[in-house]
Amino acid sequence: MSTDGTFWRAAWIGLAAFTAFGLILGIAGKHPLQAYLDTGAYVLGSLEGFTELFVRMGPLVMAALAVAIPARIGLFNVGGEGQIYMGALFATGAALHLAQAPSWLLLPATIAAGFIGGAIWALVPALMRVAGVANEAITTLLLNYVAPLAVAYQIFGPWRSPESSSYPQSPRLAEAATLPVLPNTRLHAGLLIALACLAVFAYVFHRTRWGLEMRAIGANRSASQHLGLPVRAYVLLCMALGGGIAGLAGMAEVSAIQGRLVAEVSPGYGYMGFLVAWLAGPSARAIAGMALLFALISSVGDILQITQRVPFAVVNILMAAILFSVLCAGRRR
Amino acid sequence: MIAALLIASVAAGTALLYAALGEIVGERAGIINLGVEGVMLAGAACACAVGAMSGNPYFGVLAAALAGALISLVFAYAVVDCAANQLAAGLSLLLLGLGVSALIGNPFVGAVMPGLPSLARMDALVALVLPLTALIAWGLSATRWGLQLRAVGENPTAAFAAGCNRRRLQYQAIALSGILSALAGAHIALGVAYTWAEGMTGGRGFIAIALVMFARWNPWGAVAGALVFGGAEASQLQLQAHGVDVSPFVMNMLPYLLTLAVLPLTGKRGRLAAPAALGRPYRGVE
Amino acid sequence: MLKILICVLALASPVRAQDKPPLTVGVIYIGTANDYGYNRAMKDGVEALRKATGANVLEAENVPESAEAQRVMAAMIAKGAKLIMATSFGHQEFAFNLARSHPQVAFVHAGGWMLRDNFGNFFGATQTAWYVLGVAAGHMSKAGKAGFVAGVPIGYVIGNINAFHLGARSVNPKFQTRVVVTGGWSDKVKEAAAANALIDQGADLVTMHVDSPATVIQIAENRGVYSIGFQSIEARALAPKGWITGLGFNWGPYMTETAQQVVNGTFKGKMVRLGLREKMLVVAPFGDAVPQNVRDAVDAAAARVADGFTPFTGPIKDNTGAYALRAGEKMENSDMGKFDWYAEGVIGRVK
Repeated sequence: MSTDGTFWRAAWIGLAAFTAFGLILGIAGKHPLQAYLDTGAYVLGSLEGFTELFVRMGPLVMAALAVAIPARIGLFNVGGEGQIYMGALFATGAALHLAQAPSWLLLPATIAAGFIGGAIWALVPALMRVAGVANEAITTLLLNYVAPLAVAYQIFGPWRSPESSSYPQSPRLAEAATLPVLPNTRLHAGLLIALACLAVFAYVFHRTRWGLEMRAIGANRSASQHLGLPVRAYVLLCMALGGGIAGLAGMAEVSAIQGRLVAEVSPGYGYMGFLVAWLAGPSARAIAGMALLFALISSVGDILQITQRVPFAVVNILMAAILFSVLCAGRRR
Repeated sequence: MIAALLIASVAAGTALLYAALGEIVGERAGIINLGVEGVMLAGAACACAVGAMSGNPYFGVLAAALAGALISLVFAYAVVDCAANQLAAGLSLLLLGLGVSALIGNPFVGAVMPGLPSLARMDALVALVLPLTALIAWGLSATRWGLQLRAVGENPTAAFAAGCNRRRLQYQAIALSGILSALAGAHIALGVAYTWAEGMTGGRGFIAIALVMFARWNPWGAVAGALVFGGAEASQLQLQAHGVDVSPFVMNMLPYLLTLAVLPLTGKRGRLAAPAALGRPYRGVE
Repeated sequence: MLKILICVLALASPVRAQDKPPLTVGVIYIGTANDYGYNRAMKDGVEALRKATGANVLEAENVPESAEAQRVMAAMIAKGAKLIMATSFGHQEFAFNLARSHPQVAFVHAGGWMLRDNFGNFFGATQTAWYVLGVAAGHMSKAGKAGFVAGVPIGYVIGNINAFHLGARSVNPKFQTRVVVTGGWSDKVKEAAAANALIDQGADLVTMHVDSPATVIQIAENRGVYSIGFQSIEARALAPKGWITGLGFNWGPYMTETAQQVVNGTFKGKMVRLGLREKMLVVAPFGDAVPQNVRDAVDAAAARVADGFTPFTGPIKDNTGAYALRAGEKMENSDMGKFDWYAEGVIGRVK
């Protein structure tokens, strides 16, 4: 896939989708051009608007990796959302139970716990897949609904903070368990973690033997098996890694953005990450670029909501438009 | 108490059954649609919009059916004509449904919604669902159309060789599936909650997909499954009202955990029950 | 520092107030504004504010009680909002974060307790007012059983339930209130199922504390039981036969006054809890089913509460048999968030 070709194709698709979206908005009586201009002003004209792009980009990149890594060997991990929640859950558990630990221990432990939570949540479907029981697309999807319920159970029950009128949320996490934040903004170290994972992914996939083996499995599983590649091990490993990275996104949301475990950990990053990965393919640059684009689209949604009373959920139409254009551009019959 | 639970289970399970029936038809034709939730929402929003505007819930239901068919056509074009990956296309349909329903439903939040009139806690959609199940079961197993549909889902090349029009059959299956899923959404909106709220189907579309596997792609199995899953959902609140101390979150998890638990049962043996060409885009000989 | 700022602003307050550009106000709602309930009441208040002051209002609906709320409010500030109204309980912390980083913007939040020079808190004193609704229920319910659909079981909500129950018991000492918790402020399908479940258990009157009473009331009407509304008094239109009465909010005067304060530079964050007396809360018009003697009794109870009566004076037993309040003990207005017990006769568990 030549970079030039992809870039122009992406630009073309983006243009078509924004236009289609604008048309729909226009029919619904709104002013799309004004909205796009307002977004530009917000994103380029204010510190908050600009940094929020990157605040959103971090979890999107991590959620995209959660999909992209298993996708390399032909697996569909649609469970990013659930893995994010489990990462948040485990990270909170670690931070609350180890609150007395020294800070050089607490933060790494919280991060590790987040990774483990997400990894476990992805391993269950992986094991079911390896045992030939069920397709991971279904199992990961189902677990997406169980994870937020587990979080709700904890914050309504054992972890319910006695302050704030017993509103369901956990106590504040200790200072030492929170990721560093750029002052005056919400930009936090999670973005660095995301980019680091992305770099490692790019390196491993394109320049190591493991990457080559993954590509082989993804291209032709039975041939790879006959060649003696440990396909099952890769299935488990890739799902665990993907889930773990999604778990890190959950940890970052709890640690740096919310400061505690709440009922809504993620505004759908898992599903958006799936789309980012699907659109971007295996290129790390494309993943980063798509994540930024999606963050921008979300900002459009914010502005539309405030200035034109359009429900935020409508940006899903824009995302769907982009996706369907890609899906249908693939092959015309 | 049992009677109340049964009635509540039926109320909760009807929507699941409609959506599951729709998905069975689609999957029997070889198409897996992950976007059922989106179609349900689109149906619910249209039912509310037209119902509120016209004052007649039945117009709302008809509008929902139409909306379901239309929105599914986009999906059909992608997977049938463009041979796109069905899982990705399904999720895109989900997003489309989420967005379109929000847009359509937004002006009608809080509007007075004509609910479906009910007799003995059963409304028209509940009354229709069992005859519809019978119709679909008969249609799939005993008519030429059903046979051809299933042939396409098992082995599209052989079906083509036998003269089946794969494209037409799959479009029909998807359209029918869209109508049924939209009716599920309409029931939730006008038969259960009497209102519109964004995302009100709450993941039931995905439960329906799981239900199809639980039911082994058999319409009557779906009836049993819908009762079980609807029951799990309904019992949580019934038990609370009865004074039994039960965690609503654990109860809410049950349908999903139940599905996961039965997947191994349908897995090894039941995999043979799945249509053989399910999920594979057809790139063959036409 | 902020005090100096306010003084300077107050002094610099132009004599020609009409030359000032209109105030930009940002409002976030947790649901949609036309929900016949909580958000509708907030919206009505905002409209009153807009009419009275000509302010430019930015609104966002369906803003969840999570970090997303902070994003939306920040965007409003970037668009020039000088007063932000966060109208749902769970928006508090995020609004407070922004209050810290934007000391020149005024914030008011509904239903919480945090305070700062530029962050105020407001709500109606609902707990004592619910007593009045309980009195109505006690008179009207023949079975002596009511169902209460609760959204999120925070202390304030539990207080409402207790006051309702105590009011009903003051009329019928054997009154029973069953509580079902849906887990969210606005889950329509669960509310419908909860209402049905409560009616199945014998309740002949249902009421609720969720964002919109519409679903519960419609279910009650369909099944022929009485309903008592909360959050907005327009919901009466949904239940012509079964509506008894309800409690609604009147936010207009408070919101308008707050906006004026921001324009004049005299805004200072404080805790505002007003009730029936100050007309921040209003008892809804009675339904046709309510006979005159009941109306009189309810009005009398409302007058008592407006005069300062509170049902939360000991001795009160909770529903496990222990004493929640001993003789002589009393719960103050500031304790209303601390409820963690249900009164005797309430069937439900405070989790």
